[in-house]
Amino acid sequence: MSHTDHSTTPVIQVRDLEKVYTVHEKEPGLRGSLASFVRRRKTLVRAVDRISFEIDAGQMVGFLGPNGAGKTTALKMLAGLLHPTDGFVRVGGHVPKERRTEFLKNITLVMGQKQQLLWDLPALDSFLVNQAIYEIPNDEYQATMREFSEILELEGILKKQVRKLSLGERMKCELAAALLHRPRVLFLDEPTIGLDVNMQVRIREFVAEYNRRFNATVILTSHYMADVTALCKRIIVIDKGHIVFDGDLSALVEEAAPGKTVRLELSENVSDERLSFYGKLTSREGLFADVLVPRNETSRLAARMLAELPVADVTIEDPPIEGVIGTLFAGTNRQAVDAVPAGAEQAAR
Amino acid sequence: MRARLNKTWVLFSVWFAHMSAYRAEIVIWMLSGAIPLIMMAVWIGKARAAGGHTGGFNEQQFAAYFLAAWITQQLIVAWVAWELDYQIRQGHLSPKLLRPLDPMWEFFAGHYSERLVRLPFMLLIVFAGLLIVPGTRLTPDIWHVLLYTLSVTVAFFTRFLIAYCIGILAFWFDQATAIDDFYFVAAAFLTGAFAPLEFYPPALRAFIEWTPFPYLVYYPVRVLTGEAPGPEIARVFGVQLLWAAGFYALRSALWRRGLARYGAVGA
Repeated sequence: MSHTDHSTTPVIQVRDLEKVYTVHEKEPGLRGSLASFVRRRKTLVRAVDRISFEIDAGQMVGFLGPNGAGKTTALKMLAGLLHPTDGFVRVGGHVPKERRTEFLKNITLVMGQKQQLLWDLPALDSFLVNQAIYEIPNDEYQATMREFSEILELEGILKKQVRKLSLGERMKCELAAALLHRPRVLFLDEPTIGLDVNMQVRIREFVAEYNRRFNATVILTSHYMADVTALCKRIIVIDKGHIVFDGDLSALVEEAAPGKTVRLELSENVSDERLSFYGKLTSREGLFADVLVPRNETSRLAARMLAELPVADVTIEDPPIEGVIGTLFAGTNRQAVDAVPAGAEQAAR
Repeated sequence: MRARLNKTWVLFSVWFAHMSAYRAEIVIWMLSGAIPLIMMAVWIGKARAAGGHTGGFNEQQFAAYFLAAWITQQLIVAWVAWELDYQIRQGHLSPKLLRPLDPMWEFFAGHYSERLVRLPFMLLIVFAGLLIVPGTRLTPDIWHVLLYTLSVTVAFFTRFLIAYCIGILAFWFDQATAIDDFYFVAAAFLTGAFAPLEFYPPALRAFIEWTPFPYLVYYPVRVLTGEAPGPEIARVFGVQLLWAAGFYALRSALWRRGLARYGAVGA
């Protein structure tokens, strides 16, 4: 990407990155307005609190966290839109806030709720502007357009006014416009927000293909967990400005949800008390029951249930990732382990 | 160089297409800037009442002055303060900041290409004005038109930069456009749109000469109508370029400091 880009140097380096905002506060009503008029009350909000991580070329990393956790703020600092309050950040060897041409030509930030396409003109006109601004040679532009048109099925929508496009069509055009210059680092902030399931899948496939073709480094934030699980092996979880997890998605599931669900279909009725002997009964509807058991005892406990209970069918599942993340944010992951009853351990022996 | 020319051409052509979509609105905006045309009627009436002359101007000279003032006002109009203020506060500036081009040039292309959309309607109104006051000569020859084109281009760039500096203040204030409202009031009196500066009290005129305002309308008008002799034209260009350079430097300094405060809200 740049003169400092060596195979051993991570493309993204972040150390002790911090962003503090000043926020004005006002009580509601006339009295609050008058008080604020005389003296504005300011508070400091630490949106990102000394986070550190590194990302190698070609990695796809999911940024997860609840609303207001600091994910988007971090992305905007990496893209050079926000100036950090403190800390070290390099993207492809560049200091993002300096917004040097070489840096800007190699990154993109796709924001699901902010658009760069000119509203009253066809998307093709915005593409032409980008071609000129990024100085993309004609043959490269034509080749990229052909490729994007095929993968994103842009045929027939490029000459329509942007304001006449559906949300999905517009998002595909936004993505194409943002990647026209073939950036090597992609910051994708909620790229599938508001899209239907089919469109989400198409966008995901496109990002995966782009990553493969150009060995692009991708940081993705999304509220749709399917985006993250489909694209990212590595997850960085941010909560209240801090990184609370950085590692493989599978490790995250293991750390945050140290249990697995044994889903039973019984051939005859069994009491809740008897099922609870093996683990925590999380769901019961007639002959169907879900039992949460410690992850490292799953196979032994499942085998005992098969031997000791009238089981017609059994499946073993990881808990849904949404639930895992929710548990992590709630800080109850440890309680979840504790919640597995002592009987389960006895049964495992 | 070739890439720069290509950028310029593409930006102007795409923004011309964009502005053409608003041609009906642009005509309405043009009519809202009719102060010089109204003042033309007032001053011509005053000259007629005084027997054909007042303050050294006859009816045709007033007509030429105010028609030229109206054209100039149309050509230097800038709304970038409002656009920038909105985009900074709403975070819509972000996509522009991600591209390797100072967003100012895109705003500039939008403004400049909009002049081309205005041009046919402007010529129609000027033609009608010349018919209403027979014997009016707007300009002595094509050379004065060319000199005026240069002068009004610098005047437009200066007005654009003033508006840009005001818009940048949105990095610090919630409603920077309030300052642009103040500019409109000041400009109406100080640019010469209400009356030629010859009619102003000497002390006030001396003060105005030290501001950029007369170089936005009054002096370009004198260049077009042939009232400014050669040495004055040279001085006008010199002062205009100084003001443009000054505001460009101010804009660059404000922009650097403002960006550090950008909140990039939304998204």
